[in-house]
Amino acid sequence: MTPSTLSITDRIEKQPPAWSRWLDLSDRALAVLLLAPTAILLLLIIVYPVLRLGYTSFFSLSLTSGLPAEFVGLENYELMFTDPVFWETTWNTVLITLITVPGALVVGMALALLANLPFRTQWPVRLSLLIPWALPLSFAGLIFAWFFHSEYGVVNDVLARFGIEGVIWFNSPNLAFAAICLTIIWKTSSFMALIILAGLQTIPRSLYEAADVDGAGRIRQFFEITLPLLKPAIVVALIFRTITALQTFDIPYMMTGGGPGTSTATLAMYIHQNTVSFLDLGYGSALAVVMFVLSMCVTVVYLRIIRTKD
Amino acid sequence: MKYSILTKALLSATIFGLAVPAFADTELKVYISSQHQPQVWRQVLDKFEAANPGTKVTIETGGNTSEAQAQYLNTIMSAKDSSLDVLILDVIRPAQFAAAGWTVPFENKDMAVYLPAYAEANTVDEKAVALPAFADSMFLYYRKDLLAKYGIEPPKTWDELKAAVKKINGGENNPDLQGLSFQGKAIEGAVCTFLLPYWSQGKNLVENGKLTFDKQAAVNSLKLWKSMVDEGISKKNIAEVATDDTRKEFQAGNVVFAVNWSYAWAQSQGKESAVVDKVGVTRLPAVAGGESSTCLGGWEWGVSAFSEHKDEAKKLVEFLSSQEASKHMAVNGSLLPTYSSLYQDAEVLKAAPWFADAKQVVETAKPRPVTPRYNEVSEVIRTTVNAVLAGVTTPEDGAAQIEARLRRIIR
Repeated sequence: MTPSTLSITDRIEKQPPAWSRWLDLSDRALAVLLLAPTAILLLLIIVYPVLRLGYTSFFSLSLTSGLPAEFVGLENYELMFTDPVFWETTWNTVLITLITVPGALVVGMALALLANLPFRTQWPVRLSLLIPWALPLSFAGLIFAWFFHSEYGVVNDVLARFGIEGVIWFNSPNLAFAAICLTIIWKTSSFMALIILAGLQTIPRSLYEAADVDGAGRIRQFFEITLPLLKPAIVVALIFRTITALQTFDIPYMMTGGGPGTSTATLAMYIHQNTVSFLDLGYGSALAVVMFVLSMCVTVVYLRIIRTKD
Repeated sequence: MKYSILTKALLSATIFGLAVPAFADTELKVYISSQHQPQVWRQVLDKFEAANPGTKVTIETGGNTSEAQAQYLNTIMSAKDSSLDVLILDVIRPAQFAAAGWTVPFENKDMAVYLPAYAEANTVDEKAVALPAFADSMFLYYRKDLLAKYGIEPPKTWDELKAAVKKINGGENNPDLQGLSFQGKAIEGAVCTFLLPYWSQGKNLVENGKLTFDKQAAVNSLKLWKSMVDEGISKKNIAEVATDDTRKEFQAGNVVFAVNWSYAWAQSQGKESAVVDKVGVTRLPAVAGGESSTCLGGWEWGVSAFSEHKDEAKKLVEFLSSQEASKHMAVNGSLLPTYSSLYQDAEVLKAAPWFADAKQVVETAKPRPVTPRYNEVSEVIRTTVNAVLAGVTTPEDGAAQIEARLRRIIR
């Protein structure tokens, strides 16, 4: 190597780009500058509202009273402990999550495997996967409210055709809860299926061919090839599904309005009721903070799981 | 050059914008919900415009239930939006809107011209916070033909009603014929469902802003409605029934008795009704040994505190609430007047003959609890009534829950 070539590589490696030199910035400063717009946007639309929510939750702020906001410390949080509706709605939300997330995973997996079969015409299968996913939640709730109506509903009509006496679904907390969970699973399993289907299509065919040669059966292939390779897709689907399950609002709102009584109301419905109907922003904010913390915990748990798998 | 054109454009726009209000009309926007016949109110507004040159009034409609309207107005008002000048409000809301500072009071307004219940519902701390638009209350609708066939008089008590239903059902032998339809769904109507027999026992829920809850009366009230389901007077799915479901079932000829508001009358006499000329309307039955009582309904006009034309808006509201407008709406829209004398008015009675009987019902109607936190009171009552009718909660537990929760709201 001649001294001249050395000096050339030196110059290439050490000299910052012309415009950066013009601004007289180090690499670190440049990175900060380039990230700044995104960071400011995130601060404005995510961090600020969350902080503001936490701030409001320490105030007694009811728009119906006409009184100015008054600092009450943790009073709104203390109120929750003695509020039976808070506990009931939180429990309902947890129960919906525990039932519909695994439910949607199992159904979604089955649908994805079905859609992944080598059909000659694929579009009817894919379309039927997309339709429940594309429907607005409240619309799905409205449709199923009609399905489960005790007099005009198709569900009781079908039961009657098999000689089974129809039931008044929304008169019983358990039946109403079951109807809601069925609807949520119907609505959300197609989302799970779409993500899992995408995961399925990344698994190379050659693995199955090799397994065939080794004499592994279909079931063994599923548990030893498909399932392990699908894990990343499943975890992503589960994170999304669990968080939306914790925020369940539309479907029970349209189907039962939380009834009979408050037996199918969710935490999100209770937040909506306190803020929008009662205009009690202080208590509503405190409830929303609880929900935010719940969602954060779930996300952290999932992220931990992913990290340990890596 | 470019900049100077832009500057000029901005400058002229500003001047124009500032200059417009000085010589143009005052524009008022009135919020009327879609089910309250905005097209008939338009005729009244036309009269106002004719009498007040220089004032233009436009209508904004929206929200076809009381809850939907309230949510919309809550959003507009909490944003201090000045786009609406005059608002139509359900009779349960003037107190809440006034407490929140969303409406402005009418100074020196003589409220004695109206039916007493409406004067009371619109007065908070001796100030008129809104003016009545029209009256309403709950009535007992019944099938004149069926009662005549079995020689039954319209029932005076709920027990008589049950006996009448059993007699008619025994004779008709029609499994589709329901004895009594009322509102069991967790909606505003269910609050009235609870209050009707509660009040009928001479009890009040709130007096002078203090809770005067009578637990035994509440248990009796819930028990009465539950017995309607258990004895087969009402259908088993009554907890699913909303106000308009009652109207539809009655109109289809599937109900002997129905608890409903006055609006159901016009439709029961309409083209799509199976019961034209077979409908009787009377006051609601009482509990045995009690007084008949009914829920006060109706809608009021308020002036938005954020309006930029408050004086003109007040003038408009005075007109919309005048005897002249009330008569126009009674004749052309079948809306019950808030002026006592109009119930004997020949023109009104020619258009709606049943108004002659409606007056005594409206006069004895009771307002739901007047409190700024009415939305919460309503929620407690309607979800409990719904739970009792669905069989999830016993009447005793339901009454205890109502009491416990109301104590936290009204202190």
